[in-house]
Amino acid sequence: MTDNSTTGSGPGGSLKTYNVSQDLCGGLFLIAVSAFFYWKAYPLPLGSLRAMGPGMLPVTIAVMLAIGGIILVLIGLRNGSARQETWHLRGPFFVLGGVIVFALLIRTAGLAVAGPASMVFASLGSEEFYWKESIIFSICMTIGCILLFKTALQLPIPIFTFF
Amino acid sequence: MRGWEREKKTTMNRTLTAIAALLGLSVAPALAQNYPTKSVTMIVPFAAGGPTDIIARIVNEHMSRVLGQQIVVENVAGAGGTTGITRAAGATPDGYTIMMGHMGTHGAAPALYPNLRYNPATDFAPVGLAAGTPILIVARKNLPPKDLKEFITWAKAQGEKANHAYAGVASVSHITGVLLNSVLGIKPTMIPYTGTGPALNDMISGQVDYMTDQIVNVVAQIQGGNIKAYAIALPERSPALPDVPTTKELGLDYQVSAWNAIFAPKGTPPEAVNKLADALDKALDDQKTKDRLLELGGVVPDKAGRTPAALQKLVETELARWTPVLKGAAGNDKK
Amino acid sequence: MDLVTNLTHGFGVALSLQNLGLCFVGCMVGTLIGVLPGVGPVATIAMLLPITFGLPPVGALIMLAGIYYGAQYGGSTTAILVNIPGEATSVVTTLDGHQMAKQGRAGIALGVAAIGSFFAGCVATVFIAALAQPLTKLAQLFGPAEYFSLMVMGLVFSTVLARGSIFKAILMVLLGLLLATVGTDLETGQERMTLGIQQLSDGIDFAPLAMGIFGFSEIVKNLENPEARDVVRNKIGRLLPGWEDIKQCVMPVLRGTFIGGLLGILPGSGAVLGPFASYAVEKKVAKDPSRFGKGAIEGVAGPESANNAGAQTSFIPLLTLGIPPNAVMALMVGAMTIHGIIPGPQVMTKNPDLFWGMIASMWIGNLMLVIINLPMVGMWVKLLKVPYRMMFPAIGIFCCIGIYSINNSSEDVLFTAFFGFVGYVLLKFGFEPAPMLLGFVLGKLMEEKLRQALILSRGSFSTFIERPVSLGLLIMAVLILLLALMPSFSKQREEVFTE
Repeated sequence: MTDNSTTGSGPGGSLKTYNVSQDLCGGLFLIAVSAFFYWKAYPLPLGSLRAMGPGMLPVTIAVMLAIGGIILVLIGLRNGSARQETWHLRGPFFVLGGVIVFALLIRTAGLAVAGPASMVFASLGSEEFYWKESIIFSICMTIGCILLFKTALQLPIPIFTFF
Repeated sequence: MRGWEREKKTTMNRTLTAIAALLGLSVAPALAQNYPTKSVTMIVPFAAGGPTDIIARIVNEHMSRVLGQQIVVENVAGAGGTTGITRAAGATPDGYTIMMGHMGTHGAAPALYPNLRYNPATDFAPVGLAAGTPILIVARKNLPPKDLKEFITWAKAQGEKANHAYAGVASVSHITGVLLNSVLGIKPTMIPYTGTGPALNDMISGQVDYMTDQIVNVVAQIQGGNIKAYAIALPERSPALPDVPTTKELGLDYQVSAWNAIFAPKGTPPEAVNKLADALDKALDDQKTKDRLLELGGVVPDKAGRTPAALQKLVETELARWTPVLKGAAGNDKK
Repeated sequence: MDLVTNLTHGFGVALSLQNLGLCFVGCMVGTLIGVLPGVGPVATIAMLLPITFGLPPVGALIMLAGIYYGAQYGGSTTAILVNIPGEATSVVTTLDGHQMAKQGRAGIALGVAAIGSFFAGCVATVFIAALAQPLTKLAQLFGPAEYFSLMVMGLVFSTVLARGSIFKAILMVLLGLLLATVGTDLETGQERMTLGIQQLSDGIDFAPLAMGIFGFSEIVKNLENPEARDVVRNKIGRLLPGWEDIKQCVMPVLRGTFIGGLLGILPGSGAVLGPFASYAVEKKVAKDPSRFGKGAIEGVAGPESANNAGAQTSFIPLLTLGIPPNAVMALMVGAMTIHGIIPGPQVMTKNPDLFWGMIASMWIGNLMLVIINLPMVGMWVKLLKVPYRMMFPAIGIFCCIGIYSINNSSEDVLFTAFFGFVGYVLLKFGFEPAPMLLGFVLGKLMEEKLRQALILSRGSFSTFIERPVSLGLLIMAVLILLLALMPSFSKQREEVFTE
């Protein structure tokens, strides 16, 4: 049995896969990331061993990571490694989008608006979504949060940035 | 159906935000007369628990009572204090955001940070000096020299072999350390740490040789016998450490006190600044506050030194003092 | 015996009505903020500092201490229930704890965590009372070279706890180290890889990273696979651990307490290493290591005990030397100083009320926490029955508010979203976030110690091998790595033969 190192897909469900090796994709991803860091760290002075400059460690690690990525790609090119799962972007879009909505609204409109807005938006990420339920739940949850964070914990969170 | 419902919500948000902005604008001018009508935020650009933070909290307590409103400390640490000061400098100058700056943020920062986003002399409305903490030259317990004179000889002979610890770029221990080295004409190897705590730890365990730091940080260790002090950079001995000689009596031209002061962003209404300065003055006269500051080994400024004008002058003199000393000390120019 | 008289004196102080009350308040507040994602003990204690002005010093410190170790208890709760580590020390608990929750054994996990923590707390308090001075001397043996080697060992531990490929875990550690380098350089103050973003100039914050990579990516992954998620959620087993479970946990708890207690003394990241080391040890000594990562109860018991023991012993450098080993202790220093007590080596003798009173109240606090937390287990388990479509937005909003409240910064919330996406990508590629997080947490300190060690040795790498403690730690690291890699070699050989 090959190493099934994917987390999250437990018993009862399985996801479709592309016919590409997961390790191959992962390796390419790491190479890309290390290239980015190398590019950013390159102009920094390396210094010497006895007086290491800001650049030395990032560059070294980026190179090591790139080598690791290449090895991973090679492993991925062998037959028999796990396949790459398909991407489902609805989930990330709405859930993370909800977080972004919160970030954008919290200072400009306050928690009273940001709360329900972000929660409803995030809820769209689930396939089970009912408008009325989501809106009512979001508003109740927001009220609860206001009581908890603002009243009980005295945190300085803007509620309504109108007054 | 989902699409337009979402859009409706966004438009509603936008309209509400616009109304909010208009209301906000109309409220602002009324504030200056009855200042302060709500709590004031004081940004302390260092982690809570450190010397500047403690001084801020001690002084704030009484100031809050004088002003009739709470002064709330907000810690915004980072980059030697410049992150917090940058944020405070850009805050709305309505008198409800002020900051506690110190020798590093408002004296040495321009020399150490080429991309500094504020100018200590022109981007602030000075309120007043709060307290200074004198600097001590401390060393590990088993360092051979027995007093300052022997230390100077030793340091000059050791040259690069001496290990001089400091708590990171732009920290008080850094700039005062660089100053000491330039006064003595020595070039030891500088060992950076993230904060005084780790540096003291290594000094106690004997890994590093010496350091210059504020009395608040080192007094307990000296009293407990974990490290030893060669001198204190004050004109007179400190009551907290009566056995430590001053650099003045030993003939060393090294007088440094890490001063901490309150600033407001440029453009803060003068009524607010004056009220703050007055509250600070009363706090520094209050016996309990004074006692707390003195317990720490702090130095309370005299009446003449407490005014906004005196602070502005201090900033300018400090900028002039630190810039030549620190040029090239941070290694920003090595390429 | 001196110890007994001192402890009696301490209990006398701690059992006063006011101090008991303050202890309780501290524990309650601590548990609450531990459970709430984002808001942590540092922020809360900083906020409550002014309130403590009116209180007598011993009482104030008792309350603040209660908040600190209370938060440890609470942080484990979110780690188990929703895969969100409240603090770096709870990361390990997510590995098996959350898996147990998914299998309907949340109650058992929570119970074991509470009981293990209680035991560890009591023992650690005894450590502090009896061995404070010798333990401090032990910590003094650690210079930069030793710290670096210790952290290398810690990183090796984190690869051991990988569920899948160890090679991929090593790559994740490297990625974490790389992320840790973002920020301001230690020596020159230069900004590294901050892309000109002001918020990054002090590096990436732990909370947005952890919440994004663990919390949100878990949510997104769950949404992807609704059938898998619902099947297991409907099984709720026992609410509290039974004798079988407890018997399995005795040795892990003992080992975890010892490991965590020792590591917690080391200033800096010592306390974080405790749970990781404990997990690695448990996985190695277990009869069936493949259970780990899938809900092994030892994987919760050991690290939780290590976690709490470390939280208690991290008070030692504060109480004996006056030097705070981490941000929370630095706040305590502030609190002490404001109350006119200068923390330092003489606190033990000059302020026996404070020293022994705090130690006694730590014991009392642990008792209060287990009393508060155990009954709540039932409530938490019921909460898990909420339909996921409502639960995840609720988790989301708590996280967002929590993250926002740390620095009043909406940029932090944006970062969380970004890391959430990164975490999803990593999971998709079959990588594990836990080793990356440890690499990140240790990275800054590792770099600092590496540079310091090299400066002190004037550029010579042999310093790591010449110094005995450092050498010893590095040898252990190599051994552990070899031990970890060997089973996978023999497994591969088996595969070749069976195929």
